[in-house]
Order: sequence, then C-alpha cells, then structure tokens
Amino acid sequence: MSDPTSTNPLYRSRQRRDRLATLLITAGGIGVLLTVIAIAVFLLVEVVPLFWPGADGMSLSALWSAPGTSGEAEFRWLPHRLEEGVVAQASLAPLLWGTLEAAIWALIVAIPLALGAAAHSSLYMTPGLRARMKPTLELMEAMPSVVLGFIAGLVLGPWVERHLAEAVSVVLLLPLAMITLALGHRRLPVPVQRYLSLNSAALWLLPCLLLLVLAAVQLAPLWESWWFAGDLREWVEQRWGLDVQARNAMIVGLAMGFAVIPGIYALAEDALSDVPRNLAEGAQAMGATRWQTLTRVMLPIALPGIFSAIMIGAGRAVGETMIVLMASGNSALMTATPLDGLRSLASSIAIELPEAAPGGTHYRLLLLAALALFLFTFLMNTLAELVRARLRQRFRRSRGDT
Amino acid sequence: MKIPGHTAVGSKTLRRPHEGPWAWLAAASVALSVLMLGALIVLLSVKGLANFWPSTLHEVILDDGDTVIGVPFEQRTLPGGEGVERRYWIANRDDGGGIWRWLSVPRLASDQTPDDLVVLERRHWGTFFGRLVAVRLEGERLTGEAAWLAMEQRLKELDALRQARQQLTRDDILPLIRRMEREPSSSETQHRLDDRQLQALQARAKELRRLQQGGVLVLENSQGQRQEQPLEEVLDAWRPNAMAWYEKLGHWGGELWQFLSEGPRDANTAGGVWPAIFGTILMVLLMSVLVTPFGVLAAVYLNEVAHQGRLTRLVRIGVRNLAGVPSIVYGVFGLGVFVYGIGGSIDRWFFDSSLPSPTFGTGGLLWASLTLALLTLPVVIVATEEGLSRIPLHQREGALALGATRFETLTRVVLPMAMPAMLTGLILAVARAAGEVAPLMLVGVAKLAPQVPVDGEFPFLHLERKFMHLGYHIYDAAFHSSDVQAAMPLVYATALLLVVVILVLNLTAIFMRHYLRKRHGAPVRR
Amino acid sequence: MSSVSHFAATSRRIVMLLWLGWVAWLPLPATAHDVAGALNAVGSDTMAELMLRWGEQFEEQRPGVRLQLQVAGSASAPPALIAGTTLLGPMSRPMQDDEKAAFAARHGYAVTPVVVGKDALVVVVNRHNPLERLNRQQLDAIFSDTLACGAEESIDHWQQLGLDDPQGSIHLYGRNAVSGTHGLFRRRALCDGEFKVSVTVSAGSAAVVAAVGDDPRGIGYVGLNHLNADVREVAIADGQRDVRPERQALRDGDYPLVRDLLIYVNRPPETPLPEVERAFLDMVLSPSGQRVVKELGFVALSPSALMAQRRALGLPALAREER
Repeated sequence: MSDPTSTNPLYRSRQRRDRLATLLITAGGIGVLLTVIAIAVFLLVEVVPLFWPGADGMSLSALWSAPGTSGEAEFRWLPHRLEEGVVAQASLAPLLWGTLEAAIWALIVAIPLALGAAAHSSLYMTPGLRARMKPTLELMEAMPSVVLGFIAGLVLGPWVERHLAEAVSVVLLLPLAMITLALGHRRLPVPVQRYLSLNSAALWLLPCLLLLVLAAVQLAPLWESWWFAGDLREWVEQRWGLDVQARNAMIVGLAMGFAVIPGIYALAEDALSDVPRNLAEGAQAMGATRWQTLTRVMLPIALPGIFSAIMIGAGRAVGETMIVLMASGNSALMTATPLDGLRSLASSIAIELPEAAPGGTHYRLLLLAALALFLFTFLMNTLAELVRARLRQRFRRSRGDT
Repeated sequence: MKIPGHTAVGSKTLRRPHEGPWAWLAAASVALSVLMLGALIVLLSVKGLANFWPSTLHEVILDDGDTVIGVPFEQRTLPGGEGVERRYWIANRDDGGGIWRWLSVPRLASDQTPDDLVVLERRHWGTFFGRLVAVRLEGERLTGEAAWLAMEQRLKELDALRQARQQLTRDDILPLIRRMEREPSSSETQHRLDDRQLQALQARAKELRRLQQGGVLVLENSQGQRQEQPLEEVLDAWRPNAMAWYEKLGHWGGELWQFLSEGPRDANTAGGVWPAIFGTILMVLLMSVLVTPFGVLAAVYLNEVAHQGRLTRLVRIGVRNLAGVPSIVYGVFGLGVFVYGIGGSIDRWFFDSSLPSPTFGTGGLLWASLTLALLTLPVVIVATEEGLSRIPLHQREGALALGATRFETLTRVVLPMAMPAMLTGLILAVARAAGEVAPLMLVGVAKLAPQVPVDGEFPFLHLERKFMHLGYHIYDAAFHSSDVQAAMPLVYATALLLVVVILVLNLTAIFMRHYLRKRHGAPVRR
Repeated sequence: MSSVSHFAATSRRIVMLLWLGWVAWLPLPATAHDVAGALNAVGSDTMAELMLRWGEQFEEQRPGVRLQLQVAGSASAPPALIAGTTLLGPMSRPMQDDEKAAFAARHGYAVTPVVVGKDALVVVVNRHNPLERLNRQQLDAIFSDTLACGAEESIDHWQQLGLDDPQGSIHLYGRNAVSGTHGLFRRRALCDGEFKVSVTVSAGSAAVVAAVGDDPRGIGYVGLNHLNADVREVAIADGQRDVRPERQALRDGDYPLVRDLLIYVNRPPETPLPEVERAFLDMVLSPSGQRVVKELGFVALSPSALMAQRRALGLPALAREER
C-alpha cells in the first residue's frame, strides 16, 4: 500500500529539497575532506622535482651531508649558497637533529609533570577540585606560543644565563623538598594531616611551592660560594668544558614543555579515568594504597592510552615554531649538549620560506621539511588515535562482561 | 550499586596506609603546573600594566659631579661580582647618547627626586627628561609655575587644533579628492569648481597647521644645557614627582587608553597597538565566516549523512589528527597554494596591468584568513560532531515519525540543539586563530601596515592588503624594533592583551561546554 | 564576494588611470596649486619607518597627499619600478645589474638612483668588554671558519685577542641568512666566506644587541641605528688607523661596512618629475628630511652630497639659511 502523502505535491517538493540538501551536504563534506588531503598532495607534488635527475636534482646523500671546504663531509645548512649556484651545502641533518633535540627536552620536562598531574587528579583529587583543575590546565594549552617564546627567549633565557646557580637550585630543591614532605607528613599530628590532606594537595602546595622557589633562589648564592667558588658557570666550563648559552636547548625544552603538558595531561587523565572503576576498587579493598593501585592495576591497563598521549605531545613538540624560533639560538649545530643552541625545521621554514623563490631548490627543500613535519605528526597522531580507539573498545567489552 | 569511590570511607576508624613519596611528587606536579601558569600571568600583568604608570624621575649625581636624570629600570651584578650597576632610562635621544645609561651604584653620590622634573612626550626624538625653564608664547616669556600653566593650556589648544586638522583631512579633503578621482569625466566647470574647493580646504588645513606653530619651550637637560623645543611637537607633558596618586591613576588610565586606541610610533617601540587589534579582529572575523559553514557541513556529513562504516571512522580519525599537524605546515600550504597558486592566477587574469608586482599573489588578509580557517577546521568539526552525537537518537526519530524529512529534522531539530556545541567549537577556533603566529608570517602579516585593510576607499574592505596582528607584533617588537629594551614594556603589554583576549575566549568555551554537559549528559558514542 | 572586489579594484584602477591622463592633458590653472592625490612607493622594509615619517611630514606640508607604501623588502622594488606601478622604489641595497638592465629594456632609459642616507654595520661587544679594535683579518677569523680574508687561524677565545677580562670562548651573535645585514656582513667582513656554525642567529638586529648586552663574552654585528648603552662598538683597524663608525668616516667611505639607503626613481631623461614625486624628493633631500634620517639612527648626507643629489634630480639649490 502506498503512502497517501507521497502524492502530495508539497511533500514531493519537500522530498526534493531534502535530496538536494543531502547532496549539497555530502558534496560540501567531501569537499572539505578533499581539501584536507590536498595538503599532503600539494607538499608531495612540490617536493618530488627535487629528486628528479636534472638541473637542480639533489641526491639523497646531499640532503644529509656535503663535502665542505676541507673536503670532509660537513653537516651545514647554507641555503643562501643555493641561489648563488656555489657548492650546494644544504644538509637537513642539523635541522632534523635540532627538531628532535628540542622535542626530546620538551618531553623530558612535560612527561613527568603531565603524568604526575594526571595520576594525581584521577586518583586523589576530590571531584569538585578536579572539575576546576582540568579547565585550569586547559588554559595552559591556550597560551599563545609567541608569548611563551617571548618569555623564554627574552626573559627566562637571559635570567638563567646570569643566575645559573639559582636555576639549578630550584630544579634540585623542589623534588627533594617534596620527598621530605612525603616522609614528614605521616609524623604530623592527625588533625593537621587531615587538614593538609593529599586530596587537596594541589591547592595547599601552591603557596608552599612558591615559598620553596623563593627560598631556593635566595639560598643559591650561599652554596654557590661554598662549593663552586662563587661562580657556577665558570666552574661548569672549567670542569666539564660546557659553555652556557642564553638561548639553549633546555630553555626551549622548558617553554615547550609548558606548552605540551596540558595536551599530555588531558589524554593521560582520560586514559586513567577510562579504566573500569571496579578494578581499582577491588585492589583497594584488598588493602593496596592508591599509589599501588595506580602502578599495579591501572597503569598496565591504561598504558597504551598514556603512550598515545605522549605520542600526541611529541607531535606537538616537533612542529612547534614560535617557541623554538624565539628561545633557541637558531644555530644549526649538531651537538648533544643541552646548553648549546639549536635550530628546528619549523623555525627554518618560518624565517626562510617567504624569501625563497617559489620553485627554486631552497623553496623545495623547505617544503620537504614541511612534508617531513606533516608526515611525522600525522603518523604519530593516527597511531595514537588507533591505540586509543582499540583501548576504548576493550574497556567497553570488559564493562559488558561484568 | 555505586560505591562512593575512595573519598571518605572509614577515614575515621581506619588509618589509611601511607602513599609514599611518589604520590607527593605527583601532587606537586599539579601544583607546579598551576604555579607556572599563574607566575606567567602575574608576570605579564605586572610588567604589562606597570608600564603605563608614571614612574618617578630620579636626579642622580655621580662622584665625578656628572648629573643624570632618569628612571631606574633594572639592576645587575657587575661581571667581577663586586658591586651592582643600574640601568637608567635617560631619554633625550637628541643629546646624542642614546636613551639608556648604565651607572655603577657605588659611584652614586646623591639620589633625589625633585618635584620640578618634567617628562615631555614629543613627536620627534622621543621622550624628554629635564626641567622646564620658560615658555615663549606670542612674544611673552613666562617662567616658573606660570610657564607650566601656560604650557598646559597651550597643549590643550594644540590637541584641539591637531584634531580639527585631522578631521578636516579625513572628512572633507580626502572625500573630495576621492570624488574627483572617481568622476573625472564631469564638465570642466565642475572640475574647476572642485579644484577651487580643494584649494580652499587645503588653505584651511594649512591655516590650522600655521596656528599650531609658534610657542617655544626653553628646556634644561640634566647637564644644565638649555635647549629650545617647539611646542607644536610636544604631545604631552607631566611632572611625575609632583603628582598625587589619583593624578597618577588618571594618567595611567589615559596611557592605557592610548595604548589601546592609537597606532605605533618610533618603529613599534612606542605608541599603541590599535592597528594590530583591529587586524587581529578582522582576520579572525573573516576566518569565522569561512570556517563555520564548512566545518558544520563536514561535521553534519560525517555524523548524520555518511554511512557509519570503517571508512567514516578512518576519515574521522584523519580529521582529528589534522588538529595535531603543526601550524607552520598550514602556513606552507597557504603560501604555496593560496598565495602563489590561486593568488598568482588571479593576478594573471585580473591584475595583468600591475604585474609583475603582485596584488593577490602576495600574502594578504584573505589568504591569512583562509589559511587559519583551514587550520581551525578540525576544531570546529570535532566540537560540532561532539554536539551532534550528544543529541539523543529519539529526538531525530520523533521528528522523522512526525513526517519531517531528513533535511527538516536537521535544520529544525538537530542543528538548533547542537548550536551551543558549534559555538563552543567556533570560540575555540577563534582562540586558537588569535594566538597563532607562525603561519601568518608566511601568508600576509606585516610589521607595519600603513594602510589598514578597511578604509573609506572603494571597495572599503581590501582583502589583498597586508595587516597587523597582535601576536606578530609581539614577535616583531621583541626582535626587530630598533631597541629591545625600549620596546620591552610594550611587548609585555601586548602579550598581556593577547593572553587576556585568548583566556576570555577559552573560559567562555569552557563554561559553555560545562553547561552543555550538564544539559545533555554524556555523548552517545558510535 | 572576492571576485566582485577584484572587478571593482580593477575598474577603480582604470578610472584612476583615466583621471590621471585627463589631468595631465588638461592645462592646469596658473595659480600656485597644491598637489593632491596618492604617492606610491614599493620596497624595503628597513626603510619603512623612514618612508612613513617622510610621508607624515609631507602630508603636513601638503594636506590631502597620501603616501601609499608597500613594504615587502628591497627585492620588491625593482619589479614594481620596471612594471611602472610605482615611480619610487626605496631600497636598502643597490640594484643589481640584471635588474637595471630589465628596467632599461622596458623603459628605454636608465633608472635614477637617489641616495637619501647611509646605514652602517657595527661590530659590538658587551659594555664591560675592553676590546678596542679589530682588524679585518681578526674580524674574519672570529666570525668565519673559511678565513677568506687571509687570517691564519680561527679565533675562538678572547685570550687570542690578547684580552684576559672576558675569559673563555667567544660567543657569536648574528642575523639570519635571508636578511640584508647578514649578506652585507658576509660579503664585506668575511670576504664572501662563510659564518661559523655556532653563530647564534637572531631574527632581528635588536635581539642581537639585547643578547650581546646580556652576555659578557658576546660579540655581534648590527645596523648602526640599533646601538644602545648595553653594548660598545668596536673600531675596525685599517693599517695603523682605527676607523670608527662615526659620521665623518661613513661619509668619506673609510668605514668598510656601509651601505647606501636609496630611492630608485623612474624618470625619463630631460623630463621633469611629476609634481607629487618631485615635491616629495625635494622634501627628502632637504634639511628637514635629513633630520628624520638622523633621528632614526641612520647617517644623513653631507651638505655637498645633498647638493649633488639635488642637482642630479634638477631640484633647486637650497637657500643659504636652509642649509
């Protein structure tokens, strides 16, 4: 039996409109998705001529290193030489190295802080505090990188160079003080213990940490004069041959770590919260502490999720431009010392691309760098996303079982 | 039954086992992160806002009798480790010694803050510190307090004259010239009439300019040398040491307003950031106009229209991952495809006459907005999709059961319900776009855009023009200005402004999302 | 939306061209008539602030005249001049031969360079550094590892310069490879050699000054207009004589690291310039225009050089009191 409304002209026009709209939406949606693919295609198409055997064709080995003036292979990024037609010395190796170095230092800063924060907020924090703390940490992510770069490059970097002892003192004193606190906390009278509980530690530790930092800065000249003859920088140089530059990999790492923390934190926190509650409760019922629950029960389950969080953080760190541009020395060095400058792919692109002649070798080399960044981050993120999706499925199944 | 977690179970009767140091380190990492965020914001606020406060002028006499008038800025230990040196802002660039001076503190014999020290803000040579000796005005020579009052009076007049002249140029002369340019084919009499009118207006402008002349300040710098300063070049004058706190507060407000409402001066080291604010807003607006329809379309397609199979899931992952692609890559894409590709073609087709100097074939407002729209597309798609997936299936089924078509269900039921989610996405996109600098460096931001992209000239909105941007202004002033130290206070203030804008946007988004979650509950996962 | 604006902009351009043609053809009234309209300039960003200040000053003298400045780097000036879209092209480097040839091929006459000021690069050290002078070989040995100027070994430590106050290694600060400053220093000071890899590269000259000002062991090179109290300039030794980047040495050409600030003008020989451009250059090459050059930290032209430039452009000699 046919639908009586189907003969209604109004209904038919509505139907037609519906089909048209669906078509439009489909076209629009697919168009958007195609644009997205176009990015990869564009980069690929522009980069390929670089490897064609021809006038400006480059061999893969030239991208790595080229013979320098002394005849030995050197890793030098001298793009301006490309246009002058002199020996091409445009090795991407130092840029790749710089990118990796910056990312690694960022992760060294970010991973402990972010994972610690995730563990604390998923296990210990009261729900009310957590509902406030999560958005606060999200705000960290919103900080424009140009501001972070400015602070790191022009304020923090020079300060650390002048006050190396103070900086070292802060970095060393904070964890020590925390361990002391952990040991001392149980000796406190019970009411104080309850008042200064671990659940609300994120709040009452704030002023304590502030005081600690101030104390560390104040104490620094003292121990500097005791142990290092009043000048730590001098001592470091004479003892280890390390030369502290104001714009170095550690400063970049710190600023970029700041930018990466919230991303890792949010995902890791999600991963921990997704662990079925009953597992954790079971462990605690058996007498495990919450920290034991975390390390023995929750962490093994949530590990893939945490891993994916770190991968996404790594993706962000690799592609970050302004922080590296402003806080690093932009010297294309290939040294492993964290106190030297570095130069990354992204910051090279940002400075040099507007001046590179489109279609030239320099232009294509920079596009190759962009392609490398694109592929790396895309792969990282896809992997992370797949891991997360699989994990979520497993949880759903395990929840269904119980 | 839901067991209430591990909050207060038996904490009275049982002593909970101790957690060990790791738990405390974890707690400290939360506190440390928050502390870093707070320190950053406090630093920016203090440094950014203190800049506008009229700082006390010091008159310092050194042990060799040299006198310096200036504002102490910072203190450093001398390289040997003994003693400190202090940086003074001594202004008076026309004296030839630069605007800074380092004094080693042990050499200071006396340090006073006399009330009669004046600060002049000038159109040439920057700020002046010193004393006002006399004012010569219309043949009269005034000294002492009378001179100060006469000068203040005259400065007000000058301000009015300057504004009148600006207004005349803006409202009468430029429109007339534009009309003459637009309608050149009218009769010769008309042309002569216009010409005469233009001459009259220009004469009036010159008259206003002439009225500003005359009036000379006799000033004395720290060395006691006299110099004459034409009054017309003085923009503002104050005596910081003689001001009461409420006067200072008023001055602070005025300076803050200038910062927000005026253009940059002295190669971006002084003046305000209005063009940068304007450019940022305009670019972000254009971007929103571009990104919203496409983002929503894609999200609706993915969530409502497309068959929910493996492919859709893959596409969804792909879109999500695009949010993680570095912004500089989008910049490269924008430069290669929009600027060189599309822009170049537009130039060849429409602006052949002006080639090889590019019109659209160089970075500009349009390309920057498009690039950022692409960059923020994933943000909008993801947020909209989340909103769509929160809408219970029965809402759609109800509408369909009542005979609505799918399109009608979409526009009347689903989209209105998903509206807050879309808005959240858009706000997040705007916040991200406002703080993004790296891609803009490739596709159209300028350190100084003499012509704003919107003006009275047809077609009013100039999409091909370059524009200024708050984030880029920070980078530029911190690295490219003639003197970083002089630009630093301004950089702090600009950074604070940018951070405040972005934080407000993000907080709005957070509150909206919070409100949404409360109203609609958890998303329906597919 | 955008195609409409393209069309509108094109039509606006056509209309303006028509108007300009019509005005040129029309005999203007003999009365002293102030110029009105737009003045176009395309070119250097080093000179952007300078051009803007001149534009402001010009507008004061002639209400209603607008300077439309496109700032896209020196390289953007030649194409615009060749195409005839602008008559003025500010550049912080001299035009290359191929650019000049392209201009001559298109217009049938040579482009007219007008020197409007000078800029110099100075080598700076921290304000506490006692270093007085460096000769060309030392300079090269400090900054480069190619040693193209004839030095024998690379200089990496302050001790090698006979100093014992800043101890330890020399920290190098410089500009990024795409900047004109980098190119000029590399050609003139490094004898076309190559910088050491360890140079800390800043995106701007001001950042170099700030870094050297913070670093007692630092040395860097910057534009003259960036000097401040944080750093000290170092004289370049030329034989027995020290050449400081002072005005006289710069004007006489003794100081090696100098470049001219130029405005290239499209001007057919034996034809007077259009009124607006002529008035603008008249102002630039006047004492008040040169004051702006000085104010922004560049080096103004000497009176004789100023006269020579004015004569070449067919501008009237300056009155005595104006000098």
